[in-house]
Amino acid sequence: MKNIYLPKIVKIKAVNDLSPTVKLFCVANPFSKQSNGMYFIPGQFFLLGKIGYGEAPFGVLSSPYEKKYLEFAIRKAGNVTNYLHTLRAGGTIEIRGPYGNGFPLDFMKEKDVVLITGGCGIPPIAALIEYIILYRQNFGNVYLLYGAKSPEELLLKDRFKKWERYINIILTIDKPHPQWHGPVGFVSDLVKKIKINELDAVAVMCGPGPMMDALEKILRPLGISDRRIFVNIERKMQCGIGKCQHCNCNKNYTCLNGPVFTYDEIENAYD
Amino acid sequence: MLCIRESEINNFLNELRKKYNVFDVRNDNLPFKQYFFPPEDRIFERKKNKIKTAKKSAPFILFGLNFYDLAALNQLDELMLKPQEDYFYFQRRNQSIVIGLIKEEVDSLPGGEIVFQKIDNGLHRVWLKNEKQRKWLKKYQHFFEEIPDEKITMKKIEKLDEWNKEMQQLLLEPEKLTKAIEWSINHPLWDELAQRCLGCGICTFMCPLCYCFSIEDYKTLNGENYRLRKWSSCTLNDFALIAGGHNFRKELKKRYYNWFYHKFVRGYYETGNSLCVGCGRCYHNCPAQIDILKVLKTILNDYEKHLSA
Repeated sequence: MKNIYLPKIVKIKAVNDLSPTVKLFCVANPFSKQSNGMYFIPGQFFLLGKIGYGEAPFGVLSSPYEKKYLEFAIRKAGNVTNYLHTLRAGGTIEIRGPYGNGFPLDFMKEKDVVLITGGCGIPPIAALIEYIILYRQNFGNVYLLYGAKSPEELLLKDRFKKWERYINIILTIDKPHPQWHGPVGFVSDLVKKIKINELDAVAVMCGPGPMMDALEKILRPLGISDRRIFVNIERKMQCGIGKCQHCNCNKNYTCLNGPVFTYDEIENAYD
Repeated sequence: MLCIRESEINNFLNELRKKYNVFDVRNDNLPFKQYFFPPEDRIFERKKNKIKTAKKSAPFILFGLNFYDLAALNQLDELMLKPQEDYFYFQRRNQSIVIGLIKEEVDSLPGGEIVFQKIDNGLHRVWLKNEKQRKWLKKYQHFFEEIPDEKITMKKIEKLDEWNKEMQQLLLEPEKLTKAIEWSINHPLWDELAQRCLGCGICTFMCPLCYCFSIEDYKTLNGENYRLRKWSSCTLNDFALIAGGHNFRKELKKRYYNWFYHKFVRGYYETGNSLCVGCGRCYHNCPAQIDILKVLKTILNDYEKHLSA
């Protein structure tokens, strides 16, 4: 019998600061011996932690084809992440996964793609961008709308240069800031900057509450239907395999049938 | 027909005790699930960089499950297999032989591996799951006797009391319950129940079919690191609380509704049955005396009114 709860111990290759509260963890890919294709689907998550301290779900941000490592952006938020922030390169971490469904990559083929995310919601989108860049000719116009509280909380800034060669990036921050000259908030003006064929476009969202704002101000005016808006949602998760009940969302388990749902699936969720 | 006399049952159990751990659930407060899915289960231990998984349990016998327990066991076995086998549940379940003790009329084995069904003259009819159990019982055959069918007079079936009868009647139509509970999301009854409910979680701990759990990690001063799998309850305040302080189900009303939603809606879509066997434990142990039958009846009534309106 396979023990699905047993984590694998892997080496931490590097830890870097992304912002005052977020660290980038680069850990050895524990599956590199098993296959040579895709190691996970962008949008899927892993449970990271250590026995004695706990485990928590995190989306991967490195390319799904990266053989040597997996990258995670971890924000200091609670007991587990506080402990993870004390770990250093050369140490070990325990990992299990990947879990969940991931983004519908085949459905997105040949279509225009609008990616909307905020703050710490970037990891699954980043993995998706790496995938899109790899198969760039399979996609139409691709836009990334990325917002954060302040300029310093925009994560992965060092990767924007590479991404900008392939996709359009629009950055916003929530409040005016002396060093910021770009747009403030997900304002309706941004709609003018996005050129897509609304009948053949998909939107992908991941991030906190203000995303709903983006939905009303940008996706609705753009005319993308709810069935084509894919939302990567967050819930409390513990088992990762649809048993413990913590992450239930209507008829679905976020860890099993999600974390990616179409917007109309979760619009009327009772919580 | 293979039978066992009432007077022999204890001797049989005593004989089994020589070889196995025998647990009699008839005097337990907690439901039988605790033997397969303990309230606190130390699943992993870590010493430096080595993870030790909990050891397999020794073979054991679970005796005395009643009719409802057996039905619940059937469902729990199925739930724990889907979508992937639950390692720690089956580590115990596969080591166990479950012997039921029922007085209800049945046409086949209602659940477990062996069932003693009370018939007349201090006799119990023995139902077996398959040949494996027949072989195993051979070692103990002096406790059993083969009695020709014509010599057995079936006792009149004991009538269920009114509560159980009505509950069983409702459970015969799981789909109707599903539709009614789904429809009832804005029903004022949930507000009223949220006022009465203490959010203590007793109903879910006493339910033989509730299997919510939390995974909690501990570190002790003498250097132990371990991970526990603990019973959890979807009516507890921190059930959907995440790091950073956001609670996805802050209101007791939502949590209480979610309990019914899992039992009668999500559970139905997953297994085709309500995740309720009508044992009444949640009602009899509820400090606020919330009667699951009354709740279901109120909602079904109003749902039917809504349909005909």
